[in-house]
Amino acid sequence: MNAKQPKRAEPDSVIEAYKRDIDRSLLRENLRLTVEQRFRNLQQLQRFADELRTAPRRSDP
Amino acid sequence: MTDFEALIRLLAGSGVEFIMVGGAAATAHGSARLTQDLDIVYRRSPENIARLAACLAPYHPYLRGAPPGLPFRLDGDTIERGLNFTLITDLGSLDLFGEIIGGGRYEDLQRDTIELALFGVTCRCLGLERLIEVKRAVGRPRDLEAIAELEALRDEREGQDLSRS
Repeated sequence: MNAKQPKRAEPDSVIEAYKRDIDRSLLRENLRLTVEQRFRNLQQLQRFADELRTAPRRSDP
Repeated sequence: MTDFEALIRLLAGSGVEFIMVGGAAATAHGSARLTQDLDIVYRRSPENIARLAACLAPYHPYLRGAPPGLPFRLDGDTIERGLNFTLITDLGSLDLFGEIIGGGRYEDLQRDTIELALFGVTCRCLGLERLIEVKRAVGRPRDLEAIAELEALRDEREGQDLSRS
């Protein structure tokens, strides 16, 4: 998946700060998958998020 | 829920010229973040607009978040008169961009794309470096974490490339 790369922007200190909190183990896992598998995982994540959104809460009356 | 597979197959299978951008493009590059819609930049040629309108018509495209019953119809004329559309369809959420901030139109982005063989079709996706550049240009605070993740993905890829060389 190599495109001809545009010129890279200078590092941004705010983004660098955010980068420290990125879970790179998840990214490494994803990079081992095919693009199709990444999209299937996204669909599963969407389904899970939908389930959570619609799940009845114990504290609900 | 958005059926990415069905939407990508529909668009690419109908011969629509488009570039996947946004969160779905990030997913293609390895992002672990959840995205709810498919964002595409479409070529604004009359033929492509006609293909786009025709393939979406059976899936009842409508303005996302708009009250029901508006006299909205996504046909070729509507797309010609407009530019960007935030839609809900029977297959999920789809954002059509004639132009994006920091990226421009289809023709401006085309050289910075990669070709993906996905779900039995071939489609174009914005390259990682350009995706970062576009996200940076938009400058939304909520994108900071997404940009950080994309840059981390770039670092990881470069690390892999170095370890292979």
